[in-house]
Amino acid sequence: MRPRAARNSGQLLALILASAAAGAAHAAGPAAAQAPTPGTPAEQAPTRWLERMNQSLTTRNYDGTFSHWHGGRVEMLRIIHRVQDGVVSERLASLDGSGREFIRTGPSLACYLPDKRTVLVEQRPREEPLVGFPTVDDQSASFYDIREVGRTRLNRHDTHVITVSPKDEYRYGYRLWIDDATAMPMKTQLCDAHGHIIEQIVFASLTLAAHIPDSAFRPEVSTEGFQWLRDAALPLPPAAAALAWNAMRLPPGFRMTVRSAQMLPGSANPVDHLVFTDGLASVSVFVEAQASHAPSPPVTQSATVGSSSAFSTVIDGHKITAVGEVPPATVQFIATQVKAQDPSSLGAPRP
Amino acid sequence: MNEELDSQLSAMFDDELPTAECELLARRLSRDEQLKARWGRYAVMGAVIRSERGVRLNAPLAGRVSAVLLAEPRLAASGAARGLRGGLRWWQPLAATGVAAGVAAVSILWLRTQSPLASAALNAQLARTPTAVPVSASVAATAAAAASYVVPRTPKIVPIVVPSTELANYVVAHSMFSSPVARRNLLSAFMTSEPGAAGVEDVPDEAKSGTQ
Repeated sequence: MRPRAARNSGQLLALILASAAAGAAHAAGPAAAQAPTPGTPAEQAPTRWLERMNQSLTTRNYDGTFSHWHGGRVEMLRIIHRVQDGVVSERLASLDGSGREFIRTGPSLACYLPDKRTVLVEQRPREEPLVGFPTVDDQSASFYDIREVGRTRLNRHDTHVITVSPKDEYRYGYRLWIDDATAMPMKTQLCDAHGHIIEQIVFASLTLAAHIPDSAFRPEVSTEGFQWLRDAALPLPPAAAALAWNAMRLPPGFRMTVRSAQMLPGSANPVDHLVFTDGLASVSVFVEAQASHAPSPPVTQSATVGSSSAFSTVIDGHKITAVGEVPPATVQFIATQVKAQDPSSLGAPRP
Repeated sequence: MNEELDSQLSAMFDDELPTAECELLARRLSRDEQLKARWGRYAVMGAVIRSERGVRLNAPLAGRVSAVLLAEPRLAASGAARGLRGGLRWWQPLAATGVAAGVAAVSILWLRTQSPLASAALNAQLARTPTAVPVSASVAATAAAAASYVVPRTPKIVPIVVPSTELANYVVAHSMFSSPVARRNLLSAFMTSEPGAAGVEDVPDEAKSGTQ
């Protein structure tokens, strides 16, 4: 999956909007960020713990096994993460369920689906993590109540318990048990606006390794006879010729941070990809022209992937699908607000 | 809620739970709203699967649930072998195979309508236990009207808009823009379950009108 302009001119098309500077600073790692003096109140601020946690998750090498609970089901997964010479490698595998695996090696993403005998392969631009990574700022913090509610010992780790409580029902909240020594989240609970737990991840083991071999990022599943779906290497039309899609209205606090055009595996048509975030939660909107033989009347459909939501509708002959780690009402609201605009009027939507 | 509790609920619903356990579970049901909600969902799901008399879910929805069930060979074979009424742990294959489409739609409808069927089943179980909790008059009255269960809104049934492979593409593409914790949650959920359609319905007017 490559941005339109990346194919045409070798440069990323994604429009870097409000969060570009913050995203780049974050991705540059701890050295680039303003680091408060250890032990000071600023260093101990709960938002600072969230930043440190994000840095640890994205910059450290680790190998862990954790349980994932959702909807009364518990499954074990293994995650291996490595940053080596600036290249991020990651492998997430279901240990006792579907046998699915997600493997990322630099810009290459592969999703192994043994239950569907399918492998999805996407190729993403290397610059992309610099663009749309959500970061907590003063504006986003105003839509959540973020506080440290205590310190406790969890699985032999001293942890800070941080709660992130949403102030409305357009977003979910978190309870995080963040390791004092490494800032890794040892336990995570996703909660609704009423504080009810809807998803939980608890690490059973976690090793911070200095070196993780390449062999750790090879799939265990045999792909013999599997169908491979890759992003099509089709020439994309110039960006200026395309319709510009935007959301007319957004839930409070959300703003657009990324606009790009991509090819999806198995799809012959380019897809416009818009990303909206409030700094903690994010929603992607995918816009794809409908085939002429597709159903013409506007239809809608909702779906869930764990606690994340998806909502699809048809507007002006285009299929609009919103996906995000937010309540169903939020993706539905955003999807139904997306409209085509004159390309010359590109800009951030009204907050 | 753990699997053992799910199993107990299912056994209780199938009248296969020992009396002592039934009593304990009934006490817990009386004070645990989450468990009560799950019980209600089981009640409606079970009724649809068993095509119980007096359950008048709208035909397209019931058909969709049935189609999903029939499309799952393991479940269909299991159901045929054991008889759906004969104690099939229908919640297990439902959960394991991720047929969230029918299940979630049914549960949503139950939550919206406060299914009297579920109340009736629950009341019946509670009444059988030696220390049954008091049943409120309003709930009892609702239970008496179980035969007239009507779904208030009929969702528009349309062809699948988001095939699962396509949804997988969207999930993977979106995950690159999520926060690290949200991304891990999203991908973990995707690794462990089949993305399922949770329902098909019109866009409510309030969603069209905006929030600001």
